[in-house]
Amino acid sequence: MTERPISPEEARESLELVEATMRQMQRAVVHAGTPYFFLIWGVVWTLGFGSTQVLGPESSLVGVVWMVLDALGAIASFVVGWRVATRLRHPLYSPTIGLFWLTWIAYAALIIYFAQPQSSDQLSLLISLFAMFGYVVTGIFLRSRFLIGLGVALTVVIIGGYLFFLAYYNLWMAVFGGGSLIAVGLYMRYAWR
Amino acid sequence: MARFDTLIHQPVRLRIMAALGALPEGAQLDFGALRDMLQVTDGNLATHLRKLEDAGYITVEKTFVGRRPRTYIALTPKGRQAFTEHVEALREILGE
Repeated sequence: MTERPISPEEARESLELVEATMRQMQRAVVHAGTPYFFLIWGVVWTLGFGSTQVLGPESSLVGVVWMVLDALGAIASFVVGWRVATRLRHPLYSPTIGLFWLTWIAYAALIIYFAQPQSSDQLSLLISLFAMFGYVVTGIFLRSRFLIGLGVALTVVIIGGYLFFLAYYNLWMAVFGGGSLIAVGLYMRYAWR
Repeated sequence: MARFDTLIHQPVRLRIMAALGALPEGAQLDFGALRDMLQVTDGNLATHLRKLEDAGYITVEKTFVGRRPRTYIALTPKGRQAFTEHVEALREILGE
């Protein structure tokens, strides 16, 4: 019979401590910036699609609004990304993911430019689908089922809105696209503490 | 039979190892982030880190990010193996 160094009760407490700490680490550090990325881009989508609905898709102001919002979103994301990168360094994380998103933006812009979407709704659809493609691939990189699931779910929402609610597509995207991202960001911010 | 590690079993060190073990291989964690998460003092954390470093379970790298000094901590392969075996030993005690 092998002598046990500690009692089963102490072993159970230690295992619980290990599991709780690992869970806390995942949430506190590995996913540290994630809620903020969702909140930033949720606000960008809600304001962008909301103003597109209010101003009318053909308004010349819409392009300016989107450009300003995207630029603010990119700057805010960079700041959050930088703060996370100083807390956790990993060869896979910042350089690879950053390079992926830069490549993604360049190719998305090229494809949209040459595909020449026939309406602003089609343009919105393409950009939103590209964004979700980015979420799913990033989820695969980071092995995050949550991110993959969210990307796929929002893809369904985006296509559903385009196919069945085209007249209110921008409003649909503001509420269900942007709103979902904000809701997920808030949930992660408060439930993952 | 998995090896029960008395050095790792101390509660703060067990949490340090669990925290670092939750990270992907090759990841380095900032000292301040680890301290905040474990809610321990700088001195207490440094003492336990030194013991783990002496055992070859972790590496401690001091560097600068911009002009600010930073200390990054990472689990070594030996440390990951010891932690895995220790957790396994705890499970064996429970008969899992």
